[in-house]
Amino acid sequence: MGIKFKNVNYKYPGIGESLFALTDVSLSIEPKGEFIAIVGHTGSGKSTLIQHMNALLIPNSGDIDVFGNIVKKGEKLTPIRKRVGMVFQFPEYQLFEETVEKDIMFGPLNFGLSKEEAREKAKDVIKVVGLDESYLSRSPFNLSGGEMRRVAIAGILAMEPEILVLDEPTVGLDPQGQKSIMDLFLSLHKKFNKTIILVTHNMDVVSEYANRVIVMKKSKLVFDGLPVDLFGDDELLQSYDLDIPKLMKIMRSINSEFNSKLNDTVFNLDDVVSELKKL
Amino acid sequence: MRIIIGQYLPADSWIHKLDPRAKLIALILLIATTFVIGNLYTMIGLLVFTIILVQSSKIPLSRFIKGIESLVFLLFFTVIFQMLFNKNGTLLFSTDLNLTWLNLGIIVILIVGYNLVKKMIKRRFIFFLATVALMVYSLTFDMGGLIKVFNISIYTDAVKFASFLVTRILILVSLSSLLTLTTKPTELNNGLESVLKPFKLIKVPTEEISMMISIALRFIPTLLDEANKIIKAQASRGVDFKEGTLRQKIVQIIALLIPMFIISFKRADDLANAMEARSYFPGKPRSKLVDFKFRFVDYAVLTFAIALIPSVILLAI
Ligand SMILES: Nc1ncnc2c1ncn2[C@@H]1O[C@H](COP(=O)(O)OP(=O)(O)OP(=O)(O)O)[C@@H](O)[C@H]1O
Ligand SMILES: [Mg+2]
Repeated sequence: MGIKFKNVNYKYPGIGESLFALTDVSLSIEPKGEFIAIVGHTGSGKSTLIQHMNALLIPNSGDIDVFGNIVKKGEKLTPIRKRVGMVFQFPEYQLFEETVEKDIMFGPLNFGLSKEEAREKAKDVIKVVGLDESYLSRSPFNLSGGEMRRVAIAGILAMEPEILVLDEPTVGLDPQGQKSIMDLFLSLHKKFNKTIILVTHNMDVVSEYANRVIVMKKSKLVFDGLPVDLFGDDELLQSYDLDIPKLMKIMRSINSEFNSKLNDTVFNLDDVVSELKKL
Repeated sequence: MRIIIGQYLPADSWIHKLDPRAKLIALILLIATTFVIGNLYTMIGLLVFTIILVQSSKIPLSRFIKGIESLVFLLFFTVIFQMLFNKNGTLLFSTDLNLTWLNLGIIVILIVGYNLVKKMIKRRFIFFLATVALMVYSLTFDMGGLIKVFNISIYTDAVKFASFLVTRILILVSLSSLLTLTTKPTELNNGLESVLKPFKLIKVPTEEISMMISIALRFIPTLLDEANKIIKAQASRGVDFKEGTLRQKIVQIIALLIPMFIISFKRADDLANAMEARSYFPGKPRSKLVDFKFRFVDYAVLTFAIALIPSVILLAI
């Protein structure tokens, strides 16, 4: 079993009566094979939710179980963080070592690998994120934004987490960079059957990559299911304040333009083509 | 963690409406007064006056008590110091305290107990006092293997002087809390700028200084937020900020500080660009969004504050 939430509540400590950031959230995530997108309005509690998944936040009430470890005050939490890797928004700000290699080795060393093993890991993951070995000796601060982000992600991958959690990983990148980062996660998912969980505001990402989607609204988990079931239901989308993916929009204009009745819940170009053939 | 700097509490009171310049100058004068006053009764009079001010500010008393609580240990040691070392005046009270093995044991237990439960206690100061009182009380017993006898004697001057100092500290804390609780940070900054104006004559860049102060105040919460994010990001990479050997601690601090420096410089750069884009130029005269005007109350408050020091001096003669 991977991650299990049961009736989790969380409130940020603060002056006065702040609202709950998570209310009665229950969910369960498999350790392998899932590609989950978490969506929702800004301030709905997405980042708060995923920070519970590797014990960076501890619930006020309710139970969280991560690979058999209970997330509770006083428990040892670092083992959880090795198995559930977390990549924050703008992860490039976590870089601090003199060389890319040292920075990638930082996580594995913290989790008890030897220097030699960590160095090997660095060599492996730098290629996985699409950079070559010459980057290893460079300073992380002379890289472009996209390269820095790849290095930061490599630093997490080097810890070999079983589940990878990402908070808006593509924000601030150019479209090309966005696509190649997303394809990187997809290949990790396909090649190693890793469970990927990512927060996104981009519905195209959801429809193109995710096989499960979770919707947060005002601190509550309001939808947990297949993308088809979400995007196929206009009423649901409206009540969650969500948009539909671009391809679906195109399909709908085609339908209204040609007065056709093609299925508009399409997620990739193949779907579009096979629908268009019916015209 | 969301921290509010300046702790301004909006309310509808005459102190809130005072001109920040008048308020700031009056505060400085009142503080100066506490250092001019030489006798206990005048000082207590000023404390009563301060309490009336606090009451009329319509700010809950608990906010002031919070400010005072952070200083209780200073107050406590002021009192202890006077009691132990000020031997002038007439003898008020004298007793023998017996340090015995049994008492020593009790004191150790009390200290350990205090440290164990203090985290769960809200009014920690009262608890602290109670613990100290218990320790002293336990010293009056003389059973269980005498080690040493102490003579404790308290003189009138010690009591007088301790009360004098405690009253002064209470006044200072309440007055400065009053200022920051009733004045918006921006107003405070404008007030500061005006008060510093005379220094411009000797070429002190007062406007830049107050701009720097206000920017610093504005960015403290932001930087704390960023620090929090970095701490979480590094925790995700296996840093356990709660423990570690000295060597690990150093690495942890580096892993926090270097990203913080980089973020700060980036922010500073962005801010400088944004300010330049809006034609900010250091040293050039700038107009204000709100021009403060002295009203009758402001003049009245200032006159009163200015008159306070001479009258206190006269009172002492
Ligand atoms: N450090 C914090 N201290 C206090 N409140 C916070 C903190 N972080 C978030 N919140 C509050 O908790 C709620 C949920 O925030 P969260 O960051 O989880 O939202 P989100 O869904 O990730 O939003 P976004 O899409 O903008 O990233 C918000 O109302 C926010 O104001
Ligand atoms: Mg977020």
